[in-house]
Amino acid sequence: MTTLIPIGSHLLRPIEREREREREREREMVGLAYDFLLNPLGAVRLAFEKAVASSPPDADLAAAFRGKDWGAVDLFRDFLFEQGGLSQVPILDASTIRWVQPNTLVRFRGMVQDMLGNELYVGAYKNGSTWRTNKFTDVAPSPMPPAFETQLWERHLFYCVPVPGQNSWTMEPSPSPGARNMSSSTSQHGVKRGRTTEDDMDLNVVSYNGDEGSSNTKKQKEGESTCQSSSSSEDLVNHGGDLELKNGDSSCLSCLVKIYDMPESHLKLNDVFEFIGIYTFDPELAGHKDNSDDLMYDLFEDPMAHLPPSKVPRLHCLICRKLVIQDFLPNSPVIEPLPNMIRKIRESLLLHLSAVLGNDEVAAQYLLLHLLSRIRAQVDVITVGKLSLNLTGFTRESASIFGCQLTNAVEELLPFAHAIPLTIEYLNNATLQPRKDNKTGRLVAGVLQLAQGTHLTIDETRMQNGTLTSNGVVNARLLKHLLEWQKVEYDFEYYKLEMAADVQLLIISEGKSSILPADLVLPFCPKSVAPVNATSEQLQAWRWYLATMRSLQHSSEPETSQILQDEMVAAMQEDRSLGYAGLTRWLTMAELMSASFGEKCVTLEHWQMIKELERLRKERLR
Amino acid sequence: MASSDLSPSYGASSPDGRSSPIANTNSSPANGSAGRGTKRRRRAPSTSPCPSPGPYLAPPLPRTAAAMPSADIPPSFTPSSSRRRLRRRETVTPSTPMSADDSIPPSSEAGDDFDPVDPEDADSTPVFVWGTNISVQDVNAAILRFLRHFRDPRETGRGDGLMEEGKYMRAVHRIMELEGGESLDVDAHDVFDYDPDLYGKMVRYPLEVLAIFDIVLMDLVARIDPLFEKHIQTRIFNLKSSVCMRNLNPSDIEKMVSVKGMIIRCSSIIPEVKEAIFRCLVCGHYSEPILVDRGRINEPTRCGRQECLAMNSMTLVHNRCRFADKQIVKLQETPDEIPEGGTPHTVSILMHDKLVDSGKPGDRVEITGIYRAMSVRVGPTQRIVKSIFKTYIDCLHLKKTDKSRLHIEDLMDVDNSSNSRTIEDDTPDYQDKVDKLKELSKLPDIYDRLTRSLAPNIWELDDVKRGLLCQLFGGNALKLVSGASFRGDINILLVGDPGTSKSQLLQYIHKLSPRGIYTSGRGSSAVGLTAYVSKDPETGETVLESGALVLSDRGVCCIDEFDKMSDNARSMLHEVMEQQTVSIAKAGIIASLNARTSVLACANPSESRYNPRLSVIDNIHLPPTLLSRFDLIYLILDKADEQTDRRLAKHIVSLHFKNPETVVQDVLDLPTLVAYISYARKHIHPQISDEAAEELTHQYVEMRKRGNAPGSRKKVITATARQIESLIRLSEALARMRFSEWVEVRDVAEAFRLLEVALQQSATDHSTGTIDMDLIMTGISASERTRRENLVAATRNLVMEKLQLGGPSTRLMELLEELRKQSSIEVHLNDLRNALATLMSEGVVILHGDSVKRI
Repeated sequence: MTTLIPIGSHLLRPIEREREREREREREMVGLAYDFLLNPLGAVRLAFEKAVASSPPDADLAAAFRGKDWGAVDLFRDFLFEQGGLSQVPILDASTIRWVQPNTLVRFRGMVQDMLGNELYVGAYKNGSTWRTNKFTDVAPSPMPPAFETQLWERHLFYCVPVPGQNSWTMEPSPSPGARNMSSSTSQHGVKRGRTTEDDMDLNVVSYNGDEGSSNTKKQKEGESTCQSSSSSEDLVNHGGDLELKNGDSSCLSCLVKIYDMPESHLKLNDVFEFIGIYTFDPELAGHKDNSDDLMYDLFEDPMAHLPPSKVPRLHCLICRKLVIQDFLPNSPVIEPLPNMIRKIRESLLLHLSAVLGNDEVAAQYLLLHLLSRIRAQVDVITVGKLSLNLTGFTRESASIFGCQLTNAVEELLPFAHAIPLTIEYLNNATLQPRKDNKTGRLVAGVLQLAQGTHLTIDETRMQNGTLTSNGVVNARLLKHLLEWQKVEYDFEYYKLEMAADVQLLIISEGKSSILPADLVLPFCPKSVAPVNATSEQLQAWRWYLATMRSLQHSSEPETSQILQDEMVAAMQEDRSLGYAGLTRWLTMAELMSASFGEKCVTLEHWQMIKELERLRKERLR
Repeated sequence: MASSDLSPSYGASSPDGRSSPIANTNSSPANGSAGRGTKRRRRAPSTSPCPSPGPYLAPPLPRTAAAMPSADIPPSFTPSSSRRRLRRRETVTPSTPMSADDSIPPSSEAGDDFDPVDPEDADSTPVFVWGTNISVQDVNAAILRFLRHFRDPRETGRGDGLMEEGKYMRAVHRIMELEGGESLDVDAHDVFDYDPDLYGKMVRYPLEVLAIFDIVLMDLVARIDPLFEKHIQTRIFNLKSSVCMRNLNPSDIEKMVSVKGMIIRCSSIIPEVKEAIFRCLVCGHYSEPILVDRGRINEPTRCGRQECLAMNSMTLVHNRCRFADKQIVKLQETPDEIPEGGTPHTVSILMHDKLVDSGKPGDRVEITGIYRAMSVRVGPTQRIVKSIFKTYIDCLHLKKTDKSRLHIEDLMDVDNSSNSRTIEDDTPDYQDKVDKLKELSKLPDIYDRLTRSLAPNIWELDDVKRGLLCQLFGGNALKLVSGASFRGDINILLVGDPGTSKSQLLQYIHKLSPRGIYTSGRGSSAVGLTAYVSKDPETGETVLESGALVLSDRGVCCIDEFDKMSDNARSMLHEVMEQQTVSIAKAGIIASLNARTSVLACANPSESRYNPRLSVIDNIHLPPTLLSRFDLIYLILDKADEQTDRRLAKHIVSLHFKNPETVVQDVLDLPTLVAYISYARKHIHPQISDEAAEELTHQYVEMRKRGNAPGSRKKVITATARQIESLIRLSEALARMRFSEWVEVRDVAEAFRLLEVALQQSATDHSTGTIDMDLIMTGISASERTRRENLVAATRNLVMEKLQLGGPSTRLMELLEELRKQSSIEVHLNDLRNALATLMSEGVVILHGDSVKRI
């Protein structure tokens, strides 16, 4: 099941070279008491001791070190980014967890799914006459001294999951196990522990595996070119039910990340982050059930009880950074953003999209604009920048061909994409709304808990007459709210909280969808079924193009905005029904059009293109 | 001792069910209790009538402790208790008892020279709180001073010098008289006002200071009435500053904190043994009560009776043990404290005795307590140690703050009965907000300011906005004893050209009234509790039909595309808009549900543009019966004004490019507006003054008179009884906007103006230029009626002339041509059809498709 993307040999080579270099370095640094990769805690301890030694002897040492870094992180930053150690750090996922040793340095990429507040721990304690630290670990190596010889520090806990809807092509290949095993110490103890890990995790993996059969996975989709809409909707209902199983994929490994020395507000819910830190796993802790005779402990039940270390690895974060879409383009080609280069990519992408859409060029143009849209501002009742698209005129047959092609194409182009088959059963049974379970203290993910910039395809073609239950009404309302306001309401039992979202919504339906009234309604007119194929270089270029153009900052000069205003007034005179919403939409489209050429400023030319597109669309609507 | 600080005993320790969290004050159980025990014996021998219980250091203690469960019971360990114990420190030889592991100073001594109440009696060696320079005696004296002498400045303000006793002395007396109270609530603000230093100590070293507080209080009580046995606990509340839950950090440990939040879970009540009695299975001998020691009860290994002495024969006698209640409550942050992109934090609260069950899930409370940490246990067999701590708050005081929010949830909650509730509204926070709102309401231009604040990005339409404001504020609902009820909700219909930001207005209103529902006429079945998805078989359009009205009880129901609503759903609206209920037939039962909602609907003209020559009803095809139920009907026509267009364009461009010029001056921001409306709806219930009533009658009569336009054959109705009801509601809403309890003449005048504006737009007969209510009541104006009659006559004549009886049929268009030639007025095909239909009913002609035949 853990079929990662086949790693081409050309990809392996640099890693091998890297490994070679690493060995050389090791040989040079024989004197070093620790290894950043394999014994990061050693580095932490050493840094602490150094810091203690270098501070004045009478100062309140441990208190002075509370809540700040004392050199350890700098040490790692230097190793990772200056000495190029980053590429040697394995990425933690369900496949690598089998061989990654506890207490080594790992990377984890994921979305903040839940925030579990902070945790107090004995950060520093006196062992005899020297201060030692427990930072970046869960357990203390020796019994704690009495309270007055310890220092309580705090750290923040975040529950992170792989980004929902993350497509497999975004997975970065990580250093292979062989490399690590060879260089890792082969002490008896280490191997033994490693095996325990593996067994433990195996159980876990198997359980995922079992579910994989029913919930369809992106992986299968790619291989067999089946598509979301062709599988039965019951399956997909399950699909949304439980986040842990959502991807059913090798990447499906959630992680409890502990963050140090950083305000909690640095991370926001649904942010996508990369964490580099120390993976800890202690079989003794994992195997041990907390003493049940202690009533008090049960009553202070906390979310961690539902996240046993055997299921959810712990990661003590040293360095983290927020990821943007570009970070998910593996070995992205370094393309000079030259105007004619961009123009070329744009043309080829348009060709590709129109091939996907059965040579419907107008639809391809609109789809391109749609794919480039992103939320830019929220001003009281207006959401600036969103452009949801409703392609109508799908029949069952055309939906099975084009709908499928469309979802596949979107998945190949954007890092995070999700598809929802909108049927009565789905609406009634799926859990779209994220909900706080106050019993367990966890935020139970719903399908609509999505990372910023996720694409959502909603297939309404299979909707039939039927009655919605109250859950169905809630779900329909949530979707509509997301579409109109780009906000998702989270249920906290006693109150609701709205979280901002940035989700591109594409709706395919038979007639205009009134459940989900999109910004743009375009009847879809395929002319022919064309074979769709793209080389991997092309795909890479397109991905780069979409990611880069989408994140372009728009600007305007006074002259252009004056011209635009004149144009808008003229347009209003022509068509009174345009109104506020219409003008806003046109301006959004014009901006996206200019972005599609890699330009930051809207010009008259773009405006004219938009007007022409809108004219064609209006003709079709008639 | 050092080892006992390790996890296991820690965990069990502080939440060990003592009724007060402040027990862990003395360095050893024996010491503290013995000391005070002896002291008590000396002072009030009668309080310890129990037989001497041999093996204990403090003979009279058990019974006394039973009566006062808190500070005297042997304390157990907390991290802090070991760190900052009350400790005798001899000034001469300060080095002696300093190290951590020496313990248990001689007990009897400590008791004698440690007399907390009378500092003057105490020997001169000061006792310090361990690790600090806080002298126990000083604190003692300060507390005593505070209790004895504090006088509420508010009371002394009206003071005659006769007030002999301070606020808290009176409270103590009251508690003693009632015998019921077991705790003395102490306002921390009072402490601060009286003695800031004491306040500081109390917040920083709550465990120690509160223990002294309790002791002082006990002695005070004992002096007044030596027979008073109950223990009175000190409950501090209303700290100077409360912490945000997410800002609690290690430096707050062992400090007194106050947090606000919402209770989300309560555990069941946990009975905890305080005192156990064992019975010998061999001889039936009952043991002496055994006290909890560090969270544990030590079962005697052998029978205590000299004659028996059987080994391992003792069994617990449950019903003779003494238990105390304990509960764990989870407190969660309230939405207003959560930063954007965060999830709410939670914290565990430990409740004791009386505080148990004092809050229920869903309550908003303010907790004052001591923030504490305990380490996580790992089984005794484990080699490794977890370094993690769990935190919780030992609750000292719980205050419900339910009503102190000005939040959207109860924006529309206008139950008249609810304003009599007297739950502490007096938090300074809340008062602040209210004061600000009241200040706002006194502004002379508040009405205009509110108007500007409503959808500031939509220009003009000021009168429409005023009407919408009235709807948000609402009139007074009235229920007469006779059973007749008058709704207070104002219903508004907006009719207008597409693209005139009607929907924008609707969405804005919807945002302001979250209890409301925003729905499209296409998909509202108005009634059903479940929703239905229907798919148009031809176009494939899917529509979600949901029961919108039931869901928006006490809110504003915004219905977009009202004209597209199915007839069936619309007919339900009649009931909603007049009776404010919805009847639902389900499984043979007809249920009537409340739907006390204001309806805000907007409709597009049935042709793409509004035809000013036709009446509202012809334009939007709504039944007149329904239309007449709207208090205000606004026509929003697009006047193709380039100036407005330019402004709109500029606005949209600036929105996209984030130009700062969009900021409109002098407006209330959204939250303030919401708070303002919610406060007005909840607290202001204006009455109509006599002058206003007079004015109402007068104006109404004037309005009716206007219909008798000279020269018109038929009397034109310009106002009906429905209008007077609307006027009352509108004027009440206008008074509410000013936070005025009286409807004044100016409110009535403005209400008239609003109504007039609306009528002028919707009910003006365009052919005569007068207001004609028939336009709304029946859809046909008086002049139109005359015109139709004329047309019918003309058509009849034409038919008589042109068509032979039983002759060949004529095409409709030919007739139309003829008519147009003859008559001076313009004739539409529709008009002709109508006329022919009348003739058909008279039996003159037959209209078949396009052909007309005379019979």
